[in-house]
Amino acid sequence: MNIPKTIGLPRMRNEAGEKRVFLPEFVQFIASLGVNVFIEEGYGSRSGYSFEDYKLATPLIHLASKEKAYQQDVVLILRSPKPDEFKLMRPGGILFSMLHFPTRPLRIKRLLEAKILGISMDSITNDVNIRLMENMKSVAWNGLEAGFNVLEKRWPGLVKPDKKPIQALILGTGMVGKYAIDAATKLGNIERNNDHIEAGGPGAIAFSVGRNLSSNPTTMESLFQEADILVDATQRRDASQPVVPNEWIAWLPEHAVVVDLAVDPYTLSVDPPVVRGVEGIPQGNLDQYIFPADDPNWDKTVPPSVNSKNRRTAVTCYSWPGVHPEACMLHYAHQLEPFVEVLFEKGYDGLSLDGEYFERALYRATLKCYLDEQKSVV
Amino acid sequence: MTEQITIGLARMHYEFGERRDFLPNFVAMLGKLDAKVMLEYGYGSGMRYTEEDYLNHDQKITFVSHEEVFKQDYVLVLRCPSENDLRLLKPGACIISMMHYATRPNRVALLRSLEVESISLDSIKDDVGRRLVENLRSVAWNGLEVGFSVLLRTYPSPGVESPNRDPIQVTVMGVGAVGMHAVQAASHYGDMSLWNTLAKRGVPGNQVTALEYDLTCNKAVMKDILTRSDILVDATQRPDASQAVIPNDWIAWMPEHAVLVDLSVDPYDCSVDNREVKGIEGIPQGNLDQYVFAPDDPAFELIPDCVSTVNRRYSVSCYSWPGIHPKEYMDLYGKQIGPLVRTILRKGTPANINAKGKFFERALSRAMLSNYEAT
Repeated sequence: MNIPKTIGLPRMRNEAGEKRVFLPEFVQFIASLGVNVFIEEGYGSRSGYSFEDYKLATPLIHLASKEKAYQQDVVLILRSPKPDEFKLMRPGGILFSMLHFPTRPLRIKRLLEAKILGISMDSITNDVNIRLMENMKSVAWNGLEAGFNVLEKRWPGLVKPDKKPIQALILGTGMVGKYAIDAATKLGNIERNNDHIEAGGPGAIAFSVGRNLSSNPTTMESLFQEADILVDATQRRDASQPVVPNEWIAWLPEHAVVVDLAVDPYTLSVDPPVVRGVEGIPQGNLDQYIFPADDPNWDKTVPPSVNSKNRRTAVTCYSWPGVHPEACMLHYAHQLEPFVEVLFEKGYDGLSLDGEYFERALYRATLKCYLDEQKSVV
Repeated sequence: MTEQITIGLARMHYEFGERRDFLPNFVAMLGKLDAKVMLEYGYGSGMRYTEEDYLNHDQKITFVSHEEVFKQDYVLVLRCPSENDLRLLKPGACIISMMHYATRPNRVALLRSLEVESISLDSIKDDVGRRLVENLRSVAWNGLEVGFSVLLRTYPSPGVESPNRDPIQVTVMGVGAVGMHAVQAASHYGDMSLWNTLAKRGVPGNQVTALEYDLTCNKAVMKDILTRSDILVDATQRPDASQAVIPNDWIAWMPEHAVLVDLSVDPYDCSVDNREVKGIEGIPQGNLDQYVFAPDDPAFELIPDCVSTVNRRYSVSCYSWPGIHPKEYMDLYGKQIGPLVRTILRKGTPANINAKGKFFERALSRAMLSNYEAT
């Protein structure tokens, strides 16, 4: 059994607004397991952390080049590295990241070609198939917070001219949808909601609609006409069809805000093509996630063949948890700790479904487990 | 503690309909941890398990009297035992159960006076405060499943299962942990198989309106919503339980066929110092023996006089919603409690559970009576 002894933490090279890094306390925790930690130069600098903040006189924590960080026994990075960065890893290295096996066949191919042992954070599940590494609450709350921020600029204190409660229409009743309802009824922000209650504000009502209603144009038209906020929290069975065709956007009041929590991309090059749940809205990221209807960047991510004629202000972000990076990484660190412990105790090959709670959960996230399951499905 | 750790699993002697006990595979897991496992006579019989069913999983299990169960090093029982039963515990023993420290000061005082340790299942939390032993999903889904089963009978022509009806209107009050599940359950009739069947037949779905507690006091908004609600769900966690969220007068606004679903299970108490009223005023408190109440059910007459019951609709209420599907419930709890009990038994005595230890040790430590300080 190969037990890993070192770990590399490379930087994420995504948009400039991506500031998430594992926090010094978590890195200290990893070192406390007797593991040598190699941190890429500049790690955490966008969030104001220096190497000294990480090292704190711990001899097991080292500063490293990007290449050296990728050459360790385990590479830990939240968002998957880019394809050319896979080549920096050594065969047999363990990549622990959000790898999204079910929707990334090309990534799996690259992992196998490079002989990298993948463990996907998004696939860590317990015995009843609940994800143990997730931040869906932040997806919903951060998205709704941004949506209500837009409305608050129009209506200070979130009081509409008619003094009626703000109406949020939420499509999708899965985990993100559930959190979205919670967030919508609290104006996307607990402190704002407390102030609103104290000031005697009218509050907000959330209307929740599942897929058995969202396909009914008659019902949807009446709901859209009353909606101040439209939230897409759907998980579509058929990603080639939008839940909200662009024509429906015209039913929304001019002031309405579309909040995109589903973050599906436009991928028209595959067959069948993948389109966004709300047809015609742009795809945001941490650099820009608010798009007024006349935003010049609107068309940059919307392919010309997609109907985007009807527009309302859209808030959309590929990674909503990243809007509040420290809170996000603190959350992930709490979730990751027991899995890091197991990984450095058992190694990749030592993980088994016969092990204890966290070992079983981590095993389910390995690429070998995923591939075995795929074989059994076939 | 004795050399080989002993653990007793007691039955829950409450209402007749209480059928829950830990399943044979869970009990067998305890035996594999080198603990001597003792089950109360009749354990599992509410779910039609026999002694043989347990012994087939682990032949070392023994069946003993109720009193004998309470004399073991550890006693595991889901719902907290009565005061008399707690007095059977020996000093230094540890009871593992839903203790609800914060709302049961007398229980806390009693256990301390008995020099007994306890681990409260409802207080076992991870590092970010999430409960590790909970079944709030079943509270919502089971309650809504029963609510819709009643609506199937009360809903006027053309009926719930007709493709020609309007969307069913469900109003959920409270969007906390239970309320969030309730919204999801309400969208699916509380029953995925029914949802699949009706969706395939093109029957319109359900529209769910979710309200936070602060909006429910807006009479004009509530009148508008209640007038068109087919199902009203109380999933609130009220800061002031002396005031109803829905005063009985408001029930008159609702359609005659409407169903009231009580997920909050607050009791009634008319005493001056400690007045408590259910979130929806005037509906009966159900339990596992009876959880569906027609408007003319005699149970309405048993509601204390300080509570108005003038306006009535079909009501569904149960003190323990998860208990209506006991096997599924205990299977889930077994999975949640398994790694925790494993950690407890490996540690030998509760005193060895380290507040700075590994994940489950930290979680258990937060639930120990010896670490509990009333706020």
